[in-house]
Amino acid sequence: MAPNPISERIESMAQAIAERVVNLVMDAIDIDALLDGIDVDRIISRVDVDKIIDRVDVEKIIERVDVDRIVERVDVERIIDRVDVEKIIERVDVNAVVEKVDVGRIVDQLDIDALVEQTELGSIIAKSTTGVASEVLDVIRAQGVGLDDFFARWTNRLLRRNMADLPLGPPTLVSDVASGPGNPVTAADGSAPGARP
Amino acid sequence: MSYAPPVELTEGRQGHYAGAVSRLVAFAADIGALWGLYTLGLAGLSFAAQLVTGHSLKFGNHQAVTFTALVVWSFIYFAYQWALAGKTLGMAVLGIQVVAADGTPVTTKESVIRTLTLPLSFVLFGIGFLGILIGRERRAWHDHFAGTAVVYSWDARAARLRWLAKQDPATQRRKSRKTVATEPDPV
Repeated sequence: MAPNPISERIESMAQAIAERVVNLVMDAIDIDALLDGIDVDRIISRVDVDKIIDRVDVEKIIERVDVDRIVERVDVERIIDRVDVEKIIERVDVNAVVEKVDVGRIVDQLDIDALVEQTELGSIIAKSTTGVASEVLDVIRAQGVGLDDFFARWTNRLLRRNMADLPLGPPTLVSDVASGPGNPVTAADGSAPGARP
Repeated sequence: MSYAPPVELTEGRQGHYAGAVSRLVAFAADIGALWGLYTLGLAGLSFAAQLVTGHSLKFGNHQAVTFTALVVWSFIYFAYQWALAGKTLGMAVLGIQVVAADGTPVTTKESVIRTLTLPLSFVLFGIGFLGILIGRERRAWHDHFAGTAVVYSWDARAARLRWLAKQDPATQRRKSRKTVATEPDPV
């Protein structure tokens, strides 16, 4: 169907009039006065912020943030100056922290022999013992243990028995639980039992 | 005296089954102590009788009585000491102790049974003691009868610390100089 020339002319004329009217209206309006008249708080109160936040992809924003650059600009010294360390320490449950510490592991790492040799502890131990008599006993007992081991080794060799398969001692004395006050060896001697080699 | 108990021999032996040599030496020491105290007792009795009656007492004429006295004294010597502390004088010297088979303290009943069955281990050339040498738990016949075991009670760790503490100061100085000499130069 061929376009109507009259309607085309009317349409272009209407377009020209509309453009002219808009320009005239824009010139006539005082934008600042109009904005002053708008109650922005009222508009904001109508905005559902939660809904907007729901639509924001926070992960994407975080990815764009250069954290290193922010950290570089932070004055850490100034922050530390403001921190009340004593107040923080007061809030720390020291008992809970101590409970988490594996004291046994720390002790295992200590070279007790070196410690005794280098400190006054050695002389204190020496003073607390009965001197020559205890040393003589130590010698006799150590020799006895040495000979016990010698015979045990040869007996096991003759019997073709593996020493590692033999029990070290009564169950309550060689287990870790035995180091408590219920240990008869401890109770009789007044000294702590030795650990398993 | 400067004797260093080797670490591999001494550390961590408390509560382990005691070996044949320690037990034999302890038993020999006990027999010596038992016999010595018995002889002293008889001598004291003879002296007291002489003071009272004016005549010396000849025990050779009353062998049955003296033997019975020796048996009773032996029973008291072992049973009383085991029941009291789990160890006799000889065992205390050698650092060993009698415990129940599970490691708990020995009871009076176990001590009495152990003492009464001790002679049984001597029969057939002491075959009952063979268990100490070849048994898995180093227990003699009388240990099995009484449900007991003998363990080391000596605190070898403390012995080692004593030895370390009593080292000659000159040796310690030499040792520290040697340590400094072997340390690498930090520069």
